[in-house]
Amino acid sequence: MKKINRREFLKTSSAVAAAAAFASTPGLAYTQVIGTTAPFNDYRALVCVFLHGGNDSFNMLVPNTDAEYNIYAASRQNLSIAKADLLPINPVSLTPGSEAFGLHPMMGRLQALFEAGNAAFVANVGPLVEPTTKIEYQNQSVILPSQLFSHNDQQAQWNSLKGANTSKTGWAGRMADLIRSNVANQKMATNASLYGTSLFQSADETIAYVMGQTGPLQFEGFSTDPDNILFDQRLAFQRVVEAQYDSIYERGFADIQARAIDAADSVSMAIRDAEASGAISTVFPNTPLGRQLETVAKLIYSRNQLDMQRQIFFVGIGGFDSHDNQNLDQPDLLGGISESIAAFYDATFEIGVPDSVTTFTQSDFGRTLTSNGDGTDHAWGGNQVVVGGAVKGRDIYGNYPVLEIGGPEDVGGGRMIPATSADQYAATLAKWFGIPDIDLDVVAPNLGNFAERDLGFMIT
Amino acid sequence: MSMNRLISITASLMLGLAGCSGGADDTTPPPPPPPPPVTVAEAYQFLNQTSFGATEAEAQRVIDMRFEAWIDDQMQKEVSLQLPHLQALPPPQMGMFELQRDRADIFFRNALHGEDQLRQRVAFALSEIMVVSELGALNNQPYSLASYYDMLAENAFGNYRDLIEDVTLHPAMGVYLSMLGNEKPNPTLNIRPDENYARELMQLFSIGLVELNIDGSEKLDQGQPIPTYDQEIIEGFAHVYTGWTYAGATRFQDVFPTPSRQVVPMQHWPDFHDTGPKTLLNGITLPAGQSGEQDLSDALDNIFIHPNVGPFIAIRLIQRLVTSNPSPGYVSRVAAVFNDNGAGVRGDLGAVVKAMLLDDEARPAIPMELDGKVKEPLLRLTQLWRAYDATSQSGRYPLNFAYIVFGQGPLQAPHVFNFFSPFFAPPGEIRNNDLVAPELEIATEYLNTYVTNYMFYQTFALNSTNTSLNEDDVYINFESEMLLAADIDMLIDSVANKLLAGQISDTLRNEIAGMLALIPETETALRAAETIYFIVTSPEYAYQR
Repeated sequence: MKKINRREFLKTSSAVAAAAAFASTPGLAYTQVIGTTAPFNDYRALVCVFLHGGNDSFNMLVPNTDAEYNIYAASRQNLSIAKADLLPINPVSLTPGSEAFGLHPMMGRLQALFEAGNAAFVANVGPLVEPTTKIEYQNQSVILPSQLFSHNDQQAQWNSLKGANTSKTGWAGRMADLIRSNVANQKMATNASLYGTSLFQSADETIAYVMGQTGPLQFEGFSTDPDNILFDQRLAFQRVVEAQYDSIYERGFADIQARAIDAADSVSMAIRDAEASGAISTVFPNTPLGRQLETVAKLIYSRNQLDMQRQIFFVGIGGFDSHDNQNLDQPDLLGGISESIAAFYDATFEIGVPDSVTTFTQSDFGRTLTSNGDGTDHAWGGNQVVVGGAVKGRDIYGNYPVLEIGGPEDVGGGRMIPATSADQYAATLAKWFGIPDIDLDVVAPNLGNFAERDLGFMIT
Repeated sequence: MSMNRLISITASLMLGLAGCSGGADDTTPPPPPPPPPVTVAEAYQFLNQTSFGATEAEAQRVIDMRFEAWIDDQMQKEVSLQLPHLQALPPPQMGMFELQRDRADIFFRNALHGEDQLRQRVAFALSEIMVVSELGALNNQPYSLASYYDMLAENAFGNYRDLIEDVTLHPAMGVYLSMLGNEKPNPTLNIRPDENYARELMQLFSIGLVELNIDGSEKLDQGQPIPTYDQEIIEGFAHVYTGWTYAGATRFQDVFPTPSRQVVPMQHWPDFHDTGPKTLLNGITLPAGQSGEQDLSDALDNIFIHPNVGPFIAIRLIQRLVTSNPSPGYVSRVAAVFNDNGAGVRGDLGAVVKAMLLDDEARPAIPMELDGKVKEPLLRLTQLWRAYDATSQSGRYPLNFAYIVFGQGPLQAPHVFNFFSPFFAPPGEIRNNDLVAPELEIATEYLNTYVTNYMFYQTFALNSTNTSLNEDDVYINFESEMLLAADIDMLIDSVANKLLAGQISDTLRNEIAGMLALIPETETALRAAETIYFIVTSPEYAYQR
């Protein structure tokens, strides 16, 4: 559909004509199939854990050799973690037994996953349009992502990979669009969020389904029993929301109501059936993130009953914007990630799909190495975690920066220029998900500006 | 709850119903009166922009007074406050969080019954622009939140420059965006001022990220938007905002939130203020050695005179009260009043509100596709409550869980970016046409179902015919509709008049009529509940014209 501005819109369209014109607008179904191509011959799921607010990930993955640790401690001062408290890890690509890095002391379960080869880190990754050095940044001789250091803009960067441009689609949304003819039989949207509407899953042709932490809600005023008056009520309600409306706002609202009715029954049943099976005995933390990941595990268990072959789940937690009280708040935040992600890995193992499910983190940005007294401010590059049986685990990918104020990667206050782009990170995951190489540039539009199209952390 | 059970619950309560839909007599009708200057539909449209929900009684007042006089009258009304209510209550037994329920209660009391509806509605809009929230560091500071809300209400028709100063120095904002306790740099410890408030005051409360024309469109330089500030300017303002902590603190880092400290402006401690020069907007640099108060005053002036503020605030207020997609002309007209109220005063919010509401674009006779907006879910509830005299046995409205069910509640945003973004566009025609519908960001399948279920519960269970209500259950009273329930058309007309100014679609009318035909006419409460339920969950009710 061609874009029209408000004046033209008012001039050219009466209400009825507009309603008719928009009846053919794509994207109003969860999956809009344009011819069917071969289905996938396996099941794969990506689970994005978004850490809202900007995770201070240089306190999550910390250098542990004396020289590197001392630089870290000098930069971070009162925010640094005592060396003796770090949980040492042994990346396979470094000298065996060197314990060159350590994890935050609350991340014991992640340490175990890492050491068992089921978790990896990608170091100092963040939004970039092209490879960027400090000199180039200072000379403004390089294209930068727009609105660095702003929360919502950098969340949008991670979710959309739009770089210097504007974008209304997310990289998961674009993946769902690319594979929509391969997954034409799926009875649920490829993209599902348990953390509200997300740009990550926004697409042109497909729509993400949004549920709560423990799944969808049922409509209490409706029944599926034809002898019950609430069955008639459901049908009447459906006819109301499926009627033609004159206003774009009524139509937008009605679309959501109609989709909610369609999906609530089947998705709820999939979750109930998973619960009834008793297949998942893993105890999840009773936290918002724990509950979300437990629900995802149930839906993955019931994947066949919804004919799912490819799924992308969006879960999230907030609270990472640690301008204040960082030393008080960070242990619970990082411990929570570790416990919840590890429980989820255990559940995929119970279900028998550890190699088919990959969990990864995103966050607005890393945080300043310097302190504002009792907290940190918005920065740029940070470290991310990838977990799953298909991960080439027990390693750190990318280049861990020198954590030095005024150092080669610091653009001021301890804001690290990413050495690896979020596009590369996403493309590596997308390739594993089944996106052909030729389409990776659709998923990650700035990928072509970087030498490595695949960071190598996934078994392919 | 099944309909059958509801029937059994309510059947015993039902009064006999007189058949009263007989024909009129055949006397010659009187000549029609001259058309009123304001129709009921126009009054409803206006009141859904200017209050917590149109009612028949208030619509009549608007019809009698006309729009401008109604606005003038509203601006004279005494401010309905929250803090005195909380301060009059006995201290909480278990903890401050208990008072958050009372804070929700007084919010809804004022929203439902406050005489100063327009002020309360503008305050609600401001609370979604200059966001602080119970969810987070302020969860045990109900006094501070109530005081902040009162400050917004008191400034609603005042000057924007005063508003941002009061926002900046309010301890609720000080805690929420961590300016409280922010101190001058200490280079040896790698400590520099906190940038949180510096950034968000500019990005979210005043000028936004890129330079704007007066009509709200982005200024372009070689096709690219022009950033309003850079990191150096953020750091300049961060240095300005150093040296402020709770009034009455015994030392600068004494940040314990006593009830009295929560409700008075922060106090300046010169020893903790950075005295170096500071880079601000538009090439202005504050000289070294100024006092903290002087730096703050100069910095807020520097923001206040930025040409973005007019269009920025115009768009934000228009989107909250009138329409999601104002035309450039509408934005220009309102922004021009911000820039000069006609008496040479910049930032007169009362004049801005009035210009916004009296503009032709706010008053379309026949709304086109782009006019109006999606009604905020909390306003769908309050409109129903106002129309059907909602109350509880205790007289309280303690819905402190509103944000869970409706995706929004009084000062209950999930973060400083509010419940939804002003730029949100759902996929489909709205996005494809470069339009926005901010409220639809929280109209997810999940939350829409939650709201729909709440409306089911509200209409069928939480009503005055239910004899087993708890004392804090907020119930509606539709007994007047029950008297009409034997006549399906009259019942639908009556409810549609109260909630939709009579503008009900044929589809909705027919579907309700079909459902009512399935309910015995003696079940007058069920018929009334069913009619209200269908209307308040309908797309046309969710639409603010």
